[in-house]
Amino acid sequence: MEIKIDLKERTEKAIELGLKLGASEVEAYTVWNKVFTVRMANNTILESKGVLDIGMGLRVISGGGLGFSATADLSNDGIRKALENALNNAKNRKLPFKYSFPEPTKPKKVEKTFDPKIAELPEDEAVELSYKMVESALEYDKRVVDNSGELDIIAYYIHVKNSKGVDVSDHGTKIEASLNSIARNGVEETEGFKAKGFRMLKDFDPEEIGVKAAETAVNSLGGEKIEPGEYTVILSPSTSTTLAAYPAFLASPYYMKTFSPLFEGKLGEKIAYDKFTVLEDPTWPGLWGSCSIDDEGVATQRIPIIENGVLRNYIYDSFYASMEGKTTTASGFRNGFIVGVGIFPGKNYVLEPVPYASNPIILPSDWKREEVIQETKEGILLERFHYTRLANPTRGDFTSVLRFGVFKIKNGEIVGAYKKSRLVDNLLNILKNVDAIADDLNIGGSWGEYAAAPTIRISKARIMPAE
Amino acid sequence: MEDLAEFVVDYASKLGATYVDVRIEEHYDEAIEVMNGVSEKHVVIRKKGAGIRVLANGAWGFHSTTNLTRGDLRKTAEVAFKVAKASSKHLREPAKLAPIKVVKDYVKTKAMEDVEHMDVEEKLRYCIEWDKAMRVSEEVKRTSTSFSCIKTKKIFASSEGALIRFENHVLWVSISSFAKRADLIQSYSQVEGGSGGFELLKQVNIYEVAEKVGRKSVELLDAEAAPKMEKVHVVMDPDYVALLVHEIVGHPSEADRVLEREAAWAGTTWWKGLEGQKIGSELLTVYDDPTIEGTLGFYLYDDEGTPARRKVLIEDGILKERMHSRETAAIFGAEPNAGMRAITYEFIPLIRMSNTFIAKGDWKKEEIIEETKRGVYVVGMKHPSIDDKRYNWTISAQEGYLIENGELTKHLRDIALMAIAPEFFKSIDAVADDLEIRSVPGCGKGTPMQALYVGNGGPTIRGIVNVLGV
Repeated sequence: MEIKIDLKERTEKAIELGLKLGASEVEAYTVWNKVFTVRMANNTILESKGVLDIGMGLRVISGGGLGFSATADLSNDGIRKALENALNNAKNRKLPFKYSFPEPTKPKKVEKTFDPKIAELPEDEAVELSYKMVESALEYDKRVVDNSGELDIIAYYIHVKNSKGVDVSDHGTKIEASLNSIARNGVEETEGFKAKGFRMLKDFDPEEIGVKAAETAVNSLGGEKIEPGEYTVILSPSTSTTLAAYPAFLASPYYMKTFSPLFEGKLGEKIAYDKFTVLEDPTWPGLWGSCSIDDEGVATQRIPIIENGVLRNYIYDSFYASMEGKTTTASGFRNGFIVGVGIFPGKNYVLEPVPYASNPIILPSDWKREEVIQETKEGILLERFHYTRLANPTRGDFTSVLRFGVFKIKNGEIVGAYKKSRLVDNLLNILKNVDAIADDLNIGGSWGEYAAAPTIRISKARIMPAE
Repeated sequence: MEDLAEFVVDYASKLGATYVDVRIEEHYDEAIEVMNGVSEKHVVIRKKGAGIRVLANGAWGFHSTTNLTRGDLRKTAEVAFKVAKASSKHLREPAKLAPIKVVKDYVKTKAMEDVEHMDVEEKLRYCIEWDKAMRVSEEVKRTSTSFSCIKTKKIFASSEGALIRFENHVLWVSISSFAKRADLIQSYSQVEGGSGGFELLKQVNIYEVAEKVGRKSVELLDAEAAPKMEKVHVVMDPDYVALLVHEIVGHPSEADRVLEREAAWAGTTWWKGLEGQKIGSELLTVYDDPTIEGTLGFYLYDDEGTPARRKVLIEDGILKERMHSRETAAIFGAEPNAGMRAITYEFIPLIRMSNTFIAKGDWKKEEIIEETKRGVYVVGMKHPSIDDKRYNWTISAQEGYLIENGELTKHLRDIALMAIAPEFFKSIDAVADDLEIRSVPGCGKGTPMQALYVGNGGPTIRGIVNVLGV
């Protein structure tokens, strides 16, 4: 990657300046993040757009207080102004516990996280790759009439340094590709969707995405209205990743406070099926959130969040670890969003770290996906969740629109499709009702939120029609 | 900065772009998060940069930069032009822009107490004291106060000669309380804010809001779980109506959704092709109006330089107007109505809501409740889950009350409403005069996601929906 500014030198300058201005500890997190996006709609390229986001997040400790400020101005004056903001905030933001930035660790290289072919991919080639998804969907079947989707090409570099000796960097590449196909037969219209995340260009097959989206749309034609009731439900990785992402999210003490205390006080309790294990493991090669360091520069590690159905661990950054008398699990990531502030796929410098699972994974088991389907007498197969929410976060009530890709299973075979439906159940019930886990680990998700999971069966979940 | 903006427009035009616009922006953003009395997050962000959008061979290209030298702006314009040309190879219809009145103007929102220049100590003290005000009982176990301010200086210039400077200062505070008794946890929250300085939060009296939020979370511990009720009269307060109108009128009125350009992500709309037709009760009129000062959705020019005006989305139950970009206005043969906004220079603009609200009627809220024999009264927005066509919707409320013979009786917790949009619109039979425009920060749209602040609202209304316990 060609990075013209000497980010390492700027990071060092920030530490030096922060100490000179009176901070007892300083941390600089410097980001170079490039995102090129192609959006497709109506079988055409709607827009091609790019951003190169370069900036620095600065944390200081002074007089027992913690301060943060971020700037896109990496001149000496820009850094000084940001440090002065951070010091001023620290003066007023006293912490009721002792806090210090992380100590140095020894990060290990995580394989398949950076591909120079992605970092250096010319924009016009990215446009051509994106359009291949549309072309392959249109070629799949004449009933496919419309396609929309996106391709994000992401390359990032981060440097993290603090005055306690942490001085590490990491870089990575990602591709996020999705396509939504509409199939029409007379007046009936159905949709199919495929979204996948990749770290290496060789793994990205635009034609596969186009064909899968088209196939789901075409196979959904002729669907019947579902009767409300309890069904055995098979989740493809495109939907089962939700069962990785939610538990990992709820294991963060920050999100316990700000969103849902569903997992609070439940460590050691059995909350899921015996063979259900959710890991936060950025050291796993080649997955969406695989990386060697967290955003505080601490070497990443494997954390079992749910192990064989038992809630084992919460995840921590250094701040929440200090608050609760724990040690960091290297889960300090600058996740979240601030309304009105640009947050991009890749890395962002404008946020303070919070405990966040970068790479949630449901551990695959020993079933084959085909076996899961074959051994289901009656049930449904779900290919996509849309607008999934914990409608009651404190109780875990869970709802999602089953927008399309709702297939009917009878005597171990897919025999038809259902029209748009809605899943309305409870997350804790769903976790307990898992009864089969396959071995087909895949990256799934959409809209920048990805996790890894295999095909999973739930013995019963409540479904109702949505049309 | 004006000279840089004009330089970019000239340079990209000379490259061969048929249309160019540039936004050069400077941002000061601040966010404070106090939880249980402790300031756990405090963020100050300073950003400056330019976003260049070009139309070449009928296709859009966009790129942004944080380096405002002429050399870097030239390179950024070249990338925007290059990707537009690459995209044009796969174009079916070249983009055309509906004409607008080209304007040179300067607009600045009124902000008496500029957050950037307030003492940090004072801002933190307010947040900590608001947080403390929620602690009305030992049963309040967790409190959260989240304050945000976005301050923007923007120059917009286009190859048609527009040159607009806009300075905006918006802020809001979100107050949340969790109460617990045995295994029962109840929460309550409220957002207050608008376009203006810190004085807005003093006028509203956030201490009173916080005390109410804390008290409500405790009262809900004594409330009954909401019963399941099919097709009953439900009276909805303005805060609940704000989220409702956002989700089931605002989003489906965006012309890009109607054209299925958002199909892969947010979805489309069920009322495509129904313009001019009756889709709801005669009591239902909905506006989108960016020109209301003091609201979160206030602006006088959008990010295409189109002068803002009130849009009539639904009038007396008839579907009238969409929110448009210049491009979608040309496709629909409509007049551009200033719907295009980007959250920062780093993003290409999208069609967004400003202040979308149901127009007030002539009922009094009390009359509506008195004239409801059996039903439910819901208060406060909570969580939405809406289908991709905005047809089937479920939205939970902060709290509810059973209505029996015109009186509020049992207090209800864990309540959500579910309905089919056209059936619900037709069922609206009472609209009160207590219109409020609420602050709704966090409207997400686009890829990469742009989380925008908007205003939404309406008066108390009554319609027929299903009640769910959640």
